[in-house]
Amino acid sequence: MKAAARSATIRWRGRAVFGPLIATLALGAGIIQAAGAALPADVGSDAPTVAILPAPPSKHWVWVNDFVFPHMSDGMAYLVDGDSGRYLGTLSTGFGFARLVLPRDGKLIYSPETYFSRGTRGTRTDVVTIYDAVTLKPQAEIQIPPKRASNVPTIGNSELTDDERFLLVYNFNPAQSITVVDMASRAFVGEVETPGCALAYPTGPRSFFSVCADGGLLAVQLDDAGKVVKQTHTEPVFDLAHDPVTEKPVRGGDAWYFISFAGKVYTVRNGASGPQAGDSWWLSTQAERAQGWRPGGVQQLAFHAGQKRLYAIMHQGPVETHKDPGKSIWVADVTTHRRVARFTTRRLSSAIQLSKDDRPLLFSAFNQSNILDVYDPLTGKLLRSVPEIGTSPTLLLTP
Amino acid sequence: MKWLDRMTEGSGRALARRMSRRSLLAGIGTLLLGAAAVPLLPVARGAEARPPAGRKPATPAADPGDPSSCEYWRHCAIDGFLCSCCGGSQTTCPPGTEMSAITWIGTCHNPADGKDYVISYNDCCGKSSCGRCFCNRNERDTSLYQPGQSNDYNWCSGSTQANIPYHCSTARIVGAAE
Repeated sequence: MKAAARSATIRWRGRAVFGPLIATLALGAGIIQAAGAALPADVGSDAPTVAILPAPPSKHWVWVNDFVFPHMSDGMAYLVDGDSGRYLGTLSTGFGFARLVLPRDGKLIYSPETYFSRGTRGTRTDVVTIYDAVTLKPQAEIQIPPKRASNVPTIGNSELTDDERFLLVYNFNPAQSITVVDMASRAFVGEVETPGCALAYPTGPRSFFSVCADGGLLAVQLDDAGKVVKQTHTEPVFDLAHDPVTEKPVRGGDAWYFISFAGKVYTVRNGASGPQAGDSWWLSTQAERAQGWRPGGVQQLAFHAGQKRLYAIMHQGPVETHKDPGKSIWVADVTTHRRVARFTTRRLSSAIQLSKDDRPLLFSAFNQSNILDVYDPLTGKLLRSVPEIGTSPTLLLTP
Repeated sequence: MKWLDRMTEGSGRALARRMSRRSLLAGIGTLLLGAAAVPLLPVARGAEARPPAGRKPATPAADPGDPSSCEYWRHCAIDGFLCSCCGGSQTTCPPGTEMSAITWIGTCHNPADGKDYVISYNDCCGKSSCGRCFCNRNERDTSLYQPGQSNDYNWCSGSTQANIPYHCSTARIVGAAE
């Protein structure tokens, strides 16, 4: 007995610690047992539980998508309630994470993801993971070709067609294509080759376009099986030689609003014959452009469909700052093309997003910080700040 | 090829301030070196790039600055962790990683000799992010739909051995922008 006790003893800084630890644990168990019998009637013992989320999701929730640049194999997404600032839950989303895709009914969450059999090496597997939006547990996964693009995340990395039947995933290896996934049958359908053209911007239930290196658009029409029936390369709609647009547009009804490095808004509308250039207008005055005002950031635009308002992160700097964060938010009416508001944010912002309800919130994050700010988008008033949200938050998405 | 013609025209205008037609064509030759493996992609086969026959290697007489600093002149269009801070250098990948075969290019001004050089930012691949000396500068950087000059891609994507984990970025001179 004495020998057994000696062998079980662990020494730390020359003192035996394991024996006393065992004694403490045993004593603790005794206390719990004794106290259990003596608890007041209105205090029950804590059963082991795992939280679930209410359904449907609140319109004031926001998913913060985190690229986790210093540890790219550990992509994450965090759910935060904009009304309370409460952190609600997490998704763990694999290597080179770009974004979640949120179907409108709020019951499921789609996430194109990449994994390796040995963490950062081994066999690569790409999947679309389908999460239950209440439990945040993976419910199913659909294997897709292992060529999903790895890039600074942008909305066009993955989108649903307008009826949510097909999920489109941009590939770059570095051949360019779009993977089409049937979300009704939960099956990979095929790939659309898009040589010289990038990303996917849906324009209807069976159509999308990619932006091409010449400033034209590749318009793609699908059939009900998700196969290509028509592909058209339009004439250039953007002036890439003088003032290129970013690949970070926002959708508003039948329009996609792109913005140029200098701050000109280009509208692409879906017409009878496919996507075509609509009206274009400046977010800034000539005097403001002379002062160096331009848009910047990773998710530099946000749009509110009800108010027809376009929000943009702005800063002052030369053209090579076209991806820099800003502390100024400009608000324009896309119908009148007039600027209706301008306010300064508390902190630098590289991503903004609006909630989709009639009393919207404006969310703001910076990819080199971990603070999520919540503003009143009508007044610019900072409502609350939520600290310790991730590592390098990129895209903000609202249900 | 029509889109490539247009892209060349567009890029040519954008680069006209700093690059001659000859160097631009040399650059396109570099881009098309990868054609056998990846047909007609507007990207640089930087890891295999060599000066064209008959041309002297473009080595600047002086290479001023600290390669572990974001301000180093070659870093004018880089986006990532500097390999000089990660066990490699501006031309060498850290031990155990693999240099991406395909990458993006920038054109940077060497303050020592007053000349412009085409820089190939080959990513080093196969380990998780180095996480040191993050640097993002965007001179003449293009959007994702013009990949050859876009620093927002993870260029480890073209690697077959170390399929896509990104570790850090180098900044190699591949030619003079005369």
